Amino acid sequence: MSSLLHFSTPSPSSRLSSSSFRNSPSNSLLFTKSTLRSIRLPSISRRFNQNRLSLTANASSVVDSPTTSAVDSGGGSPKLLLEVKDLTAVIAESQLPILKGVNLVIYEGEVHAVMGKNGSGKSTFSKVLVGHPDYEVTGGSVVFKGENLLDMDPEERSLAGLFMSFQSPIAIPGVSNIDFLNMAYNARRKKLGLPELGPLEFYDFISRRLKIVKMDTNFLNRNVNEGFSGGERKRNEILQLAVLGADLAILDEIDSGLDVDALQDVAEAVNGLLTPKNSVLMITHYQRLLDYIKPSYVHIMEDGKIVKTGDSSLAQQLEKEGYKGISA
Amino acid sequence: MASSSTFPPPCRLPHFTPKSISSSKPRTKTKFPVRPISTPRASFSDPFVIQIAETLEDSNSTLSSKQSPPLDKLRETSSQSLLSKSWPSRKDERFRFTDTSFIKRSQIHPVLNPPNSESNLIDISSDIPQSPNLVIVDGYIVPSLSKISELPENVYVGSISDISSVEIMEKVTKFVSDFQEGDLFWSLNGIGAPDATVVFVPSGCHVEKPLSFRFYSSESGDTESTHLPMSNPRVLILVEKGGEIGIIEEHLSGNEEEEKCYWENSVMEVFIGEGGKVTHSYIQQQAANAAHIKWTYVQQESSSTYELVEISSGGKLGRHNLHIQQVGPDTVTEVSTFQLCVRAQTQDLHSRIFLQHPRGTTRQLHKCIVAHSLGQVVFDGNVELIRPAQETDANQLSRSLLLEPGATVNVVPNLQIKPDGVQCSHGATICGLDEEDEQLFYLLARGIDTKTARKALLFAFGAEVTERLPCESLRKKVDSHIQRLLEPIA
Repeated sequence: MSSLLHFSTPSPSSRLSSSSFRNSPSNSLLFTKSTLRSIRLPSISRRFNQNRLSLTANASSVVDSPTTSAVDSGGGSPKLLLEVKDLTAVIAESQLPILKGVNLVIYEGEVHAVMGKNGSGKSTFSKVLVGHPDYEVTGGSVVFKGENLLDMDPEERSLAGLFMSFQSPIAIPGVSNIDFLNMAYNARRKKLGLPELGPLEFYDFISRRLKIVKMDTNFLNRNVNEGFSGGERKRNEILQLAVLGADLAILDEIDSGLDVDALQDVAEAVNGLLTPKNSVLMITHYQRLLDYIKPSYVHIMEDGKIVKTGDSSLAQQLEKEGYKGISA
Repeated sequence: MASSSTFPPPCRLPHFTPKSISSSKPRTKTKFPVRPISTPRASFSDPFVIQIAETLEDSNSTLSSKQSPPLDKLRETSSQSLLSKSWPSRKDERFRFTDTSFIKRSQIHPVLNPPNSESNLIDISSDIPQSPNLVIVDGYIVPSLSKISELPENVYVGSISDISSVEIMEKVTKFVSDFQEGDLFWSLNGIGAPDATVVFVPSGCHVEKPLSFRFYSSESGDTESTHLPMSNPRVLILVEKGGEIGIIEEHLSGNEEEEKCYWENSVMEVFIGEGGKVTHSYIQQQAANAAHIKWTYVQQESSSTYELVEISSGGKLGRHNLHIQQVGPDTVTEVSTFQLCVRAQTQDLHSRIFLQHPRGTTRQLHKCIVAHSLGQVVFDGNVELIRPAQETDANQLSRSLLLEPGATVNVVPNLQIKPDGVQCSHGATICGLDEEDEQLFYLLARGIDTKTARKALLFAFGAEVTERLPCESLRKKVDSHIQRLLEPIA
């Protein structure tokens, strides 16, 4: 499954919400990193133009016609999954602006990474996408699978196929992990009009998925995240992803607090879950995660905006030169 | 104290004048010739108290009441200590928040005889827990419903009057009524207890299966009448050096929603020898109009462990006085309590953990939900470290959840620390369910709807305590009981 990582529509910097670029022909070939790099069009000045253009853009106007179809990801070109335009948000309590006009476009099957310094707004961005009550959206729009995401409650966003793995998942004493997963899974089934699974049926279902994240069954009887090590918490997040599935998985610093082995396990699990139909948005500080989960696009966030977009070479450049080298 | 002269025949409280008492016991205060009635804090001869004491006294002269030297000693010391006690008012520090006046307004009648008809005990027998277990009705062991055969041979469980071993009798006599800081209710129990159930675990003996006690009251008045039957069950647990036992203590009524009025005034004393261990589960599910007043006195010798998990949801008034006394170093004490008020009721925990030796560890978790506008929880949690208690590790956490406007909680967390070089922490929070935002959001973010998520968090709030119950079948029973109570609210 890991080869699917390289699925990507190569409409390059158009990821920054440019309808003009979306109209150019694209294809759904199996691209390697090098081919991606060769067709990147990273340019800040262009991005600004695109921002203006994007105001009139709309998801339905996007027509992707594959010019070649060496590998077809299931009849038809990748669909637009998420389109974020000029998103601004403040901390609800203090009204302090954090996001100052974020633009991002994600298509099915793509892996994106958002990198940035502490305080650049990247974690806020992920929380705003899933509707965290600590933040208030003050402008811009977010369209997810053709629907206005900002109109939805957090649980509706989840049921619509958006998943965020929390940076520091909270412990819930008194709620066992299996009950929690069962509740969440049944919410999905209810939404699909399927009968809910009782505890025994669910145990059957879940125990088969535990190996994805290399966890023991006693993990299920423990309370949600209570007394979990950093690594266990992250594994638990990915287990939830494995159980619930998602069209877009936002992994907020999934690598923080993990040793190399745990990181490898978690990354392997994520890679195993990737299909041509779903996408990943990683939020990270470090290049090392990107060695395991290969991004099609890397975005640099600074002061509440995405200031640069490139392919994975951007992350390498970042590793060498730091953020100064990038923004200069 | 062990001389035979301290065991007169059942002590009457004939006149209850200060004079007659002061002549028999120098410890009793002799300096109160004044009439106390006009001063609420006066320390003796509260006529109401004397009246109850006398009826209890009378009940003990009946044939059914057990007689034995340690019981006599208990009754006598209790009678004497009672003289300095009056019915608590809101002016008493320990009853500042707790209203006991509805008991005082009632006609209190001690339950005189052990239940003889088993027909009214059918409810009880239908709910047999994992053996071994004892059923105690109105303070009397009911042998036909009890089963203690699975206990190790050298463990004694039974009435204090049936102890045949001189050795055990000596030890029991030494410990009985050893505690000097009890209140009025402690003393009333000492006078009124028709029997005392003794559990003796000899040194080095590990009792594998928990011993279950189920307490019932056979008589009750209805809501309109003022008739209030009172019972005084008493249990003494004695665990010798290195011994271990699990105790499950359930105070039940056939049906918690039933409007039965009765008063159970219960006492349990626990003595844990060096390196011994007692795990204690205390479940209070009395009838909706019952008064449940209960003392737990625990003495811990060096390196002993005492773990208590309390879940109180029953009664109109539930009051638990918990006193844990450390008498040696390196003790471990864990107290976890969950109180739930879903009706116009009061749940009150007054706990005092007294540490006077080095390297003790004590952890206290208190949680409560008040889900009724006339519901009230009182928590007065005292952890006291005197100077020799060096290197103590003490913490206390209290979390209250108020779900209705008008719901009340009175929390008085109190850590008194004299020594340096100790680790102590405490915290207390009071909130509504909305303040559990982060947890709620986590559930919502996984697609769980708000109603289901809130319900899960509400049940989880108490589960943090109930999951500490060591016995799984009990835990399930208690959890489903709590869920049933919370269901209409969630």
